[in-house]
Amino acid sequence: MNASDPWSLGVHLAALAIPALLGVTALVRPRWAEVACALALAMTLGIVLALATRIVRAGGSAVGVRLDVVTCAMLLLVCGIGYVIARYSRTYLHGDPRIDTYDRWVLLTLGAVTSLVIASNLLVIAAAWTATSIALHQLLTFYPDRSAALVAAHKKFLVSRLADVCFWSCLVLVRASVGSLDLDRISGWAVAHPDLTPSMHVAAVLAVIAVALKSAQLPFHGWLIQVMEAPTPVSALLHAGIVNIGGFVMIRLAPWMAHALAAQLLLVIIGLVTMVVAALVMTTRVSVKVALAWSTCAQVGFMLVECGLGAWHLALLHLVAHSLYKAHSFLSAGGAVEAWRVQEMRARRPRPSSMRLVVVTLGALGAAVACVMVIEARSAAHGGPDLAVRVIALLVGLSVVPLVAGRAVVGAASMAASAASVAVVALLYIGGHSAAARLVPGATMATGTANLGWILVGAGVVVLFAVKAVLALKPGGRFSRALYPWLFAGLYLDERFTRATFRIWPPRLQRPITARAIAVRDPVGGLT
Amino acid sequence: MTHTHGSAPRSPAVAPAEPTAALKQTVSRACGRIAPSWPLDRFIAVNPFWGLIDLPLPEVAARLRALSGAELLMPRAWYREQYRAGRLRDEHLTAALAGTGSGCSLADLRGLLDEPEPAAPVRQRVVDVRDGDRDLVHEVSWRNFVTHSVSQFCAAYFDDGQASLGPAREGGLYASWRRQAVSDRSPAALMGFTTFRGMASELPASAPDLTAAALDALGVAEPERESYLWSLLLDQNGWASWCAYRRWNARLAGGDDDAISDLLAIRLAWEWMLLRGGSQTLARTWKRATASWPAVDASAAAARTSDWWLQSAIEIAWRSPVASALAAGLAEARPATPAVQAVFCIDVRSEVFRRALESTADSVTTLGFAGFFGIPMDYRPLGAPSARPQLPGLLAPRLRAADTGLGAEVEEQRARRLDLAAGWKAFKTDALSTFTFVEALGLAYAGKLVVDSLGLGGARSIERTGLSRDADARRKPRLVGSVDGGPLDAEARGELAATMLRAMSLTRGFARIVLLAGHGSVTRNNPHAAGLDCGACCGQTGEVNARAAAALLNEPEVRSGLVRRGIEVPGTTWFVAGLHNTTTDELALFDLDELPASHRPDLAALRTGLADAGVRARAERADLLGLQRKNPSRLHRAVRARTTDWAQVRAEWGLANNAAFIVAPRERSRHLDLGGRAFLHEYRHEEDDQYDVLELIMTAPMVVTHWINLQYYASTVDNARYGSGNKVLHNIVGGHIGVFEGNGGDLRIGLPMQSLHDGADWVHTPLRLAVFIEAPRAAIAAVLARHAHVRALVTHGWIELFCIDAQAGVVVAYQGPT
Repeated sequence: MNASDPWSLGVHLAALAIPALLGVTALVRPRWAEVACALALAMTLGIVLALATRIVRAGGSAVGVRLDVVTCAMLLLVCGIGYVIARYSRTYLHGDPRIDTYDRWVLLTLGAVTSLVIASNLLVIAAAWTATSIALHQLLTFYPDRSAALVAAHKKFLVSRLADVCFWSCLVLVRASVGSLDLDRISGWAVAHPDLTPSMHVAAVLAVIAVALKSAQLPFHGWLIQVMEAPTPVSALLHAGIVNIGGFVMIRLAPWMAHALAAQLLLVIIGLVTMVVAALVMTTRVSVKVALAWSTCAQVGFMLVECGLGAWHLALLHLVAHSLYKAHSFLSAGGAVEAWRVQEMRARRPRPSSMRLVVVTLGALGAAVACVMVIEARSAAHGGPDLAVRVIALLVGLSVVPLVAGRAVVGAASMAASAASVAVVALLYIGGHSAAARLVPGATMATGTANLGWILVGAGVVVLFAVKAVLALKPGGRFSRALYPWLFAGLYLDERFTRATFRIWPPRLQRPITARAIAVRDPVGGLT
Repeated sequence: MTHTHGSAPRSPAVAPAEPTAALKQTVSRACGRIAPSWPLDRFIAVNPFWGLIDLPLPEVAARLRALSGAELLMPRAWYREQYRAGRLRDEHLTAALAGTGSGCSLADLRGLLDEPEPAAPVRQRVVDVRDGDRDLVHEVSWRNFVTHSVSQFCAAYFDDGQASLGPAREGGLYASWRRQAVSDRSPAALMGFTTFRGMASELPASAPDLTAAALDALGVAEPERESYLWSLLLDQNGWASWCAYRRWNARLAGGDDDAISDLLAIRLAWEWMLLRGGSQTLARTWKRATASWPAVDASAAAARTSDWWLQSAIEIAWRSPVASALAAGLAEARPATPAVQAVFCIDVRSEVFRRALESTADSVTTLGFAGFFGIPMDYRPLGAPSARPQLPGLLAPRLRAADTGLGAEVEEQRARRLDLAAGWKAFKTDALSTFTFVEALGLAYAGKLVVDSLGLGGARSIERTGLSRDADARRKPRLVGSVDGGPLDAEARGELAATMLRAMSLTRGFARIVLLAGHGSVTRNNPHAAGLDCGACCGQTGEVNARAAAALLNEPEVRSGLVRRGIEVPGTTWFVAGLHNTTTDELALFDLDELPASHRPDLAALRTGLADAGVRARAERADLLGLQRKNPSRLHRAVRARTTDWAQVRAEWGLANNAAFIVAPRERSRHLDLGGRAFLHEYRHEEDDQYDVLELIMTAPMVVTHWINLQYYASTVDNARYGSGNKVLHNIVGGHIGVFEGNGGDLRIGLPMQSLHDGADWVHTPLRLAVFIEAPRAAIAAVLARHAHVRALVTHGWIELFCIDAQAGVVVAYQGPT
């Protein structure tokens, strides 16, 4: 690109300096984690400013760094959350004799993630991804005297290495076909060969499998649920950042993936099944952090579905929005009791009533249909009906039902507030989507199988809505009674994997190396 | 019960055993051993061994050691450290041994300091025996699996606000568990226990039948049954304590709750099925294990008997100087009528503030009284569907407080706001709309992250929820009647006021301003926040009680009622309500709009004094908070910042290091720096004709302070069993029920490590409560004679009772009535 332009070169070098800064601080002065993260965030803001004011053109690559909207969004996200976590941890873990070790691995993890985000070469991405996983492993086993922590970390390690095998095999195939692992070269090759070659189809499927494994999709989700054995900020870092990397990689490979029909369809199916199952399981969880973990599993599934549909801009929006939401939710999970007390002061609760549900649902769907008609009338010039718009309208329409049906107070003021809430949701939703579409280049690179995919998604949404409606309306009915034990058990998907992990790599407890007093021995530990 | 041998475990499960009355009693005794544990929203302290006070503490320790491996003493290395540091000296060891008649000598005790603790075996149950022949490196242990599985089920069954879907609950805990077990495939999938579901379907349908049948099939002999059942409950002590809490509350309300015996039946069913699922060899090993129980008990009993002298010695080391200093206080005269009388909660944190306030002016005297101000009430916030208790956990509420001064319009508005918030919450957590929620509103969380990271959110108050600032300023919590909705007439109000003043020994010499200060903490993101609030107000702040009490005492009708009862409160006396913020040592005053104009100058002086006291109290607490070397205003900002810091796990040290309860006039201790380690209750026995007040103090506040003391003690000596572990791993269960440490395991009770330990050292020193009472020995003896449980606390070594003898001018250990 414009590497000769000194401004451009400078900004690219600044991006390169971010992982370098985090890495060097980790090795030299881990205690300065908060300062290093603040600096990294400041540098990111500078880079974003340079791109936003068009001092430097977005979309270019130099010195192995690719700077575009996706990079900016991800860097802002990672450095922002990194700073919040570093600041939080300093107080939260105050007094822990191993805080240096903790800070070191947080910084190294963040360093690896930022290198992955700025890389313009798939080889660097793969290497940084593996490095992220290994650095995170040290955080997940921060309390090596906790058996449950070790089990979860070992499970994650095994799944991640399996994913690595897939991803590195994918790299070999890509290198053989394209002759390079440079992201621009891969995109260029895919545009020139829209039908791909069989080996590139296989490579795409391998990439999708790697992404699904690293994104904790069913049935390899167990480790994600069980990492509550590490300090809260580690959960935040994992759930708000690392588990989303798969989505980011898919977005990076979009120009190629848009033609990889089988791989994309596979991604839609994996993501959709995970999303529906995990969302239902979430509603049966009994502890706040575990419920959040199942929610992550479902949300990442939804993001992967968006990738599989070729809705890359939506995937990016979802990734960033979910990360921010989830980071905050984990870090503030201790406030659940206060939230409970506030809820207890609420005077009236609505009894679930099918009449009410039907009325609200029909109303919401009516509004959704009206919206679709308006949108389609306006975009009639572009051609036939857009399936994506219809499915999204269905999703949003069914989504606002709890917002209205969950309220108890009746009256004009209340109805007005409900209507206003729905309007706010719709406007923010549409606004977010169109902003993402405007910002993210290639948002229109829909996959060839997108229509089939959207039909599947529409079916998934309807099934999810119907199942939860029956569960809510008839909790004592035969359907609910039969389904509940399965949902409560997470469909028994994880037990055999746990058993295998014990055989392959058992948790051998180490003597507590933390302060003896803090890491008290665990007479009856948690397990799964 | 001897007809089940060898092959019995393989026989069909429909054993004909009938639950007998004797068995019922055994179960009830085993369940009675478990103390209740309050939920997080009213996290008051409890002695976790409350069901065991009929036994001497060392014996309790021995039994718990044998049954569960629990440890009720610090490790010897800790005593050794105290000895080396000079905090524990030979004179203390000698004093501990004096008069005990034990064969133990000073040299023996010193030798003990350098020896490792003897390893004591633990009674084996079927679950342990199964684990015994299991490759625990490559396989999940049965003990962990069963505990986790039962715990998850209990959480789902008792869930109150986290999940939106739960198991069918009809028939109670055991019946619900049994239905679930029949369809549970995880024992097969994870543990290879493929016959589990079949066996579960053969289990008796009711808990009593199961208990009878299982005990027969397991071949547990009659005399061992209670201990065996108790040991099973100890494996699930967190949930057992939750069930005990439900039972405690049900009994306070005149009913009962037998979830705890259902829980016991579930653990017993597991034992039975594990035995049935095992081999013939297992059955033989199990028989041998049961036969070994007496030997295990004996070895546990012998394990650390002499160590209790070490514990006594470290207690003596702190108590003796306090006792002498209190004796010196006997020479102090009762102060003349002061300008201000400030009544604080007996809480140990008040001691620091009271000392600071008294040091600002001689004209200020302070008193100690239980922070609920003796009003047995609950409180219904405006518009709330139910009331919450605002009194000690020992009592049931009789009176009702509510918000007054606000109209129906404000109530409607609050209802609408809360309802709208609930709608948004449903939108956020619903299985389908959660996806839309993220894409519509997720980005807004960037702002929340910034606000919370920088602590810009401000301190929150639960009472203000859904109210505007203006409405909150007009809100006046007052006593409105009795809990059943009946009125509280003038006669009853007068009687209530008189009882209150007599109980705080404040019946004459009233100052112009009498401050009634409740207390509360302010922390963010803290599951155990209620544990830092007022225990006498059931884990709430004392604001409502202080305001209701002060308003009551200012009522003209009540004043005349007091006169009729012989208490002359001068017309120039005004009661002011306040709230001591224990995190920042600020003291807020309430309802000042009602203060007579004549008292404005007094108020100004009081405010100056309180501000001054805050500065001194903060300076005193700064060291422990790691905030030393800051000037007063920076220190003030620093402690305030802790109240809004969402990452702060040690916002304040709560009641850490509590060690004594002093029941005497303030003159005895006013000259003393008790370092925030003593509960202080005002008491003048010469004004207590029938010793009714003494009886009240010894049966209520003394028990409550003992509960707090033992909660800290137990959480320190065995945090794994009686504490809640590492706060950075806490995971709130069921909305408000309790916490898991990490993913799961048993529900955790007690205090987190971060409330006891600063990372390098213990901040709490586990000393049993020393109670100093200034009253005639015969009066104390009479109270003890009437109340067996209070007597048990004294005679069984749970507390150490001292008599402040004004006539002889000495403080002596209470040695019986003579």
